[in-house]
Amino acid sequence: MAKIAYYPGCALNERSSHLDRSARDATVRLGFELDELDTWTCCGAVPPVSEERVMNLVAPSRILKDVRDSGRDILITICDFCYNTLKRTNFIIKSDEITRKRVNAFLADDTPERDYLEKDDSLWEDYAGEVNVIHLMEYLRDELGYEKITESLKRSLKGLKIAPYYGCVMLRPQNEIQLDNPENPSIIEDFITALDAKPVKYPYRTECCGSYLSVSSPDASTRLCYRILTSARNSGADAVVVSCPLCFYNLDSRQKAITEAYSDFKPVPIFYFTQLLSVALGVEYGRQGFEKHYVDVTPVLDKIGISTGKGGEE
Amino acid sequence: MKRIGVFVCHCGINIAETVDVKRVAEESMKMDGVAYAQDYIYMCSEPGQTLVREKIVEEKLDAIIIAACSPNLHESTFRAAAEEAGLNPWQCEIANIREQCSWVHSDREKATSKAIHIVATIVQKTRLNESLEPIPVSITKKALVIGGGIAGIQASLDIADSGYKVILVEKDSSIGGHMAQLSETFPTLDCSQCILTPKMVAAGKHPNIELMTYSEIEEVSGYVGNFKVKIRRKASFVDWSKCNGCGLCMEKCPAKVSSAFDRELATHGAIYVPFPQAVPNKPVIDKDSCIYFKTGKCRLCEKVCEIGAINFEQEDQFVEEEVGAIIVATGFETLPVADLAEYGAGDVPDLIDGLAFERLLSASGPTVGEVRRPSDGKVPKEIVFVQCAGSRDPERYKPYCSKICCMYTTKHALLYKHRVHDGQPYIFYIDIRTGGKGYEEFYHNAEEEENIIYLRGKVAKIFRDGDKTVVWGTDTLTGRNIEIAADLVVLATAVVPKDSTAELVKKLRIQTGPNGFLAEAHPKLRPVESINSGFFLAGAAQGPKDIPETVAQASGAACKVISLFSRDHLEQDPAVAWVDEDLCGSCRICISVCPYDAREYDEEKEIVIVNEALCEGCGSCVAACACGATQQRNLSDSQIKSMVTASLGGV
Amino acid sequence: MSENMGLAPPKNPPIRLTLEIVNTGFKQRVNELSGQNMDACYQCGNCSSGCPLAQEMDILPNRVIRLVQLGQNDDIINSETIWICASCFQCTVRCPKGIDIQAVMDALRQIAMDEGIDHFGPDQIDPELAASVPQPGLVGVYRKLAT
Ligand SMILES: Cc1cc2nc3c(=O)[nH]c(=O)nc-3n(C[C@H](O)[C@H](O)[C@H](O)COP(=O)(O)OP(=O)(O)OC[C@H]3O[C@@H](n4cnc5c(N)ncnc54)[C@H](O)[C@@H]3O)c2cc1C
Ligand code: SF4
Ligand code: SF4
Ligand code: SF4
Ligand code: SF4
Repeated sequence: MAKIAYYPGCALNERSSHLDRSARDATVRLGFELDELDTWTCCGAVPPVSEERVMNLVAPSRILKDVRDSGRDILITICDFCYNTLKRTNFIIKSDEITRKRVNAFLADDTPERDYLEKDDSLWEDYAGEVNVIHLMEYLRDELGYEKITESLKRSLKGLKIAPYYGCVMLRPQNEIQLDNPENPSIIEDFITALDAKPVKYPYRTECCGSYLSVSSPDASTRLCYRILTSARNSGADAVVVSCPLCFYNLDSRQKAITEAYSDFKPVPIFYFTQLLSVALGVEYGRQGFEKHYVDVTPVLDKIGISTGKGGEE
Repeated sequence: MKRIGVFVCHCGINIAETVDVKRVAEESMKMDGVAYAQDYIYMCSEPGQTLVREKIVEEKLDAIIIAACSPNLHESTFRAAAEEAGLNPWQCEIANIREQCSWVHSDREKATSKAIHIVATIVQKTRLNESLEPIPVSITKKALVIGGGIAGIQASLDIADSGYKVILVEKDSSIGGHMAQLSETFPTLDCSQCILTPKMVAAGKHPNIELMTYSEIEEVSGYVGNFKVKIRRKASFVDWSKCNGCGLCMEKCPAKVSSAFDRELATHGAIYVPFPQAVPNKPVIDKDSCIYFKTGKCRLCEKVCEIGAINFEQEDQFVEEEVGAIIVATGFETLPVADLAEYGAGDVPDLIDGLAFERLLSASGPTVGEVRRPSDGKVPKEIVFVQCAGSRDPERYKPYCSKICCMYTTKHALLYKHRVHDGQPYIFYIDIRTGGKGYEEFYHNAEEEENIIYLRGKVAKIFRDGDKTVVWGTDTLTGRNIEIAADLVVLATAVVPKDSTAELVKKLRIQTGPNGFLAEAHPKLRPVESINSGFFLAGAAQGPKDIPETVAQASGAACKVISLFSRDHLEQDPAVAWVDEDLCGSCRICISVCPYDAREYDEEKEIVIVNEALCEGCGSCVAACACGATQQRNLSDSQIKSMVTASLGGV
Repeated sequence: MSENMGLAPPKNPPIRLTLEIVNTGFKQRVNELSGQNMDACYQCGNCSSGCPLAQEMDILPNRVIRLVQLGQNDDIINSETIWICASCFQCTVRCPKGIDIQAVMDALRQIAMDEGIDHFGPDQIDPELAASVPQPGLVGVYRKLAT
């Protein structure tokens, strides 16, 4: 089975490990394996605020360099933040020669064989952006092909109306990310269609959920999430699907605060895209971590006759 | 009896909504003389006109009435259609049931009844209409261009190049106009002199162009194709036929006159040429400043002029010319700084207008292109440019946008930065208007690359404080007021018509609009013509314009003149006044009432006759004529009487 | 004119623009850090119109850029806006002049932090949240809002 280099990132490794599990389960059923890097660190979550903070590029660059050094040229992530950070780091490394040199100097500096290298620097090869950072969803669309998913479906999600939520960093800044049209994307809609469910269009799908402001200005995030979820709900969605653990957290957990603040609010279940994929490919429910969700997803799956209670492989 | 056809138009819903057009057609059928009546949705469209033509033939109609919009719009259209079907065009009349009926009423019943009355009135007129032939008028194929700015120069060159003669009259001693004062020109920054002077020279040398500079229009009479013009050639006190332009006289003249061309930033003698590249390059003596004329002593110029070209005895000369068309290209002026009270009323020394700044930037200007302020000659480190100074201010100054200042102000700031690299320009604006090819890009480049600070707000007050000029403005984008103690302030003053234009249009008997700019015949479809035939408009005299637009309009006006000259003769509407020679008692009252000078006493016949080519058919003389000798064709007394009766509901 | 010492300062004093203020280096510093040209902004306001966090800001994004253009560093460094911006890049993808406003916000945050103004310290976080929020939220907030 093909093995593709995989960077889980902190969230998927720990607090959202159930999402990581559903991704691994699903991809195996699609005929490839997410091959986690032997060693990795946090990517930094956001690219540095300016060229002067070049140190912040070192960690993500090291991750990318390790991939290259292991002879591979593709790296998959399933978290929008990691995707954005690694991809943009790669962009900077590729396009800005001075920064590239400075970053590589740091990389060489803390390499264990440094003394050895100083004697013979021909053994050192600067990391120059050789690795292609790919979002799992992008891999499914471009490399595997969504039709392959449809062919492999074990359970039909027919009858479900699902609102895609893009958030911000999966699509933006567009000139560096180039995953889809930032104003009118379709990658998640097409993914939903591939699962036999019906994508719901609503105006808030690319509006920010508050991102990390959830930590510093939780109320601001609550207000944004309320607008997004209400818009999805009013457009007829049974649930919302996301591709970023932070979006997931904001849209799901914040519903507690939203419910307290807005009397007209009706909760909306949130899925991670890997969960829906995994369910549709027939992976047992117990492995999805649905119990960790703040908003219960059972009624939605019940609606199309997939009762979570009677889980288990087909 | 005549067989009249009535065609009632719906004009979409414009008429049909308020007027019951079917009923109008039905009622028309009942009128005496009407042999056919029909309504149709768009009578002016091709199917509509076909209907009219077919029915003329089928129904053997002798005359037709189109009940539709104003005759101003489509009378000529339907007359042409009638002619095609074999009718004399003057057997086609328009009954205006749109502008004079459906558009101004809302009660359908009453409007319908009024429309029927209007048709009945026109039926009465039509019954007695004679068939007429247009009056042929010959054309003098020579053009007069008034104003020698870029507009006048371009129009003259275009007409002259097509083989017709042109007289170019310019009131200053040189042609060139304001463009000669400019440094470099937006949006491409070509040097103004470099693109203008070759054209000036070409106009000066062209065998078909007769330059009359230092000249003004004294009198104009006649009509399209046949104007008579009297031109005053002002005394220059220099015999230009002798003068070789050596310039000695100007060097020696002890008088000091501030230079209008240099916007008062420099002086010249009482004998001067406005600028070295002048065409013709001949001096004139400014009588008001000349020491000899004032005191009776001096005559230094005369002494130094070896060829004896100076002639203190010279007097204004008058020449008479005949021309077939006249282009008015008298350009613009800018609102005097002194008119702007809140901006110091002209008393702040380091506050100048845009044209003065052009002179400071110009390589041939008083500072040879170095930006130095008037008060002490220092290079200003901070300049504030104030846009819309007097423009877009309907309460106090001019209501309109002067159109060119946004662009030239950005140009000024940019050229200033090119001269004074460490200087800081600020521009106060209300909006930046850059609607021209390459203009927005020009502005973007200046804003992005030249460190020009654009401040969005109108300046309230400017005053002097020490050697600084303080500007109080605001920046609505930050919501904060702004104060700048500047070294120099440049006002983009409103573009206004030349003072002398008001007097000129009276002589020409053409119209101006509410702001004094020349009025075009139609703002969209006839922008280069005056309402009065034979007069054409070019350049900033018609409204604020930059050079590209000015040149385009000048070529447009020239083209109209050439098209006029390409005809053998002109056709004049024959529905004019005529005199029953037996009845005229020679009281001559008609001569005094005719606003177009179309009546004249015929010595031989001893009666007053009508010059048909001049008569506009206004009817004043008909009304004034006590003997009933004067009548108007197709508007005879009996026609009018029966029309009045019909309009009041009688038959 | 000297300021009266006994009176409270006026609420909305005029900006007294000078060559020095406009060219102090604040604008240049922002240009340098962000890699953007502040003078390219023609104040269309698109960045503010679409900013999801605009409702939380004291100074709208376009006005932040405007204040940089006029060298008004204090107004910006002391504003809430730079800390409320969620770096969502909405403005960046829409600016008709191609300005990366998000990068400008980053630059302004850095300038503020360089001046010792941190917006968010570890002591300010709700412990329950700290224990549950996915790491990108935590790492992001400290990277963006604190030194
Ligand atoms: C500060 C400033 C900067 C400018 N910069 C630019 C620029 O960079 N690019 C650009 O495209 N445009 C620019 N313009 C606009 C440009 O000057 C005009 O578009 C152009 O001069 C219009 O030409 P004109 O021939 O219609 O009028 P004018 O240049 O005004 O010429 C009219 C001529 O008619 C003569 N005249 C007037 N009355 C009479 C009369 N009664 N009898 C006989 N002669 C008469 C006048 O003496 C004059 O010679 C600028 C204008 C200003 C004020
Ligand atoms: S062109 Fe510009 S400066 Fe001039 S009046 Fe119009 S808006 Fe004002
Ligand atoms: S109809 Fe009018 S224009 Fe004609 S001659 Fe009589 S008064 Fe003059
Ligand atoms: S969108 Fe761009 S040009 Fe428009 S105001 Fe914002 S930064 Fe300026
Ligand atoms: S990046 Fe910041 S300023 Fe721009 S739209 Fe998002 S929150 Fe608003």
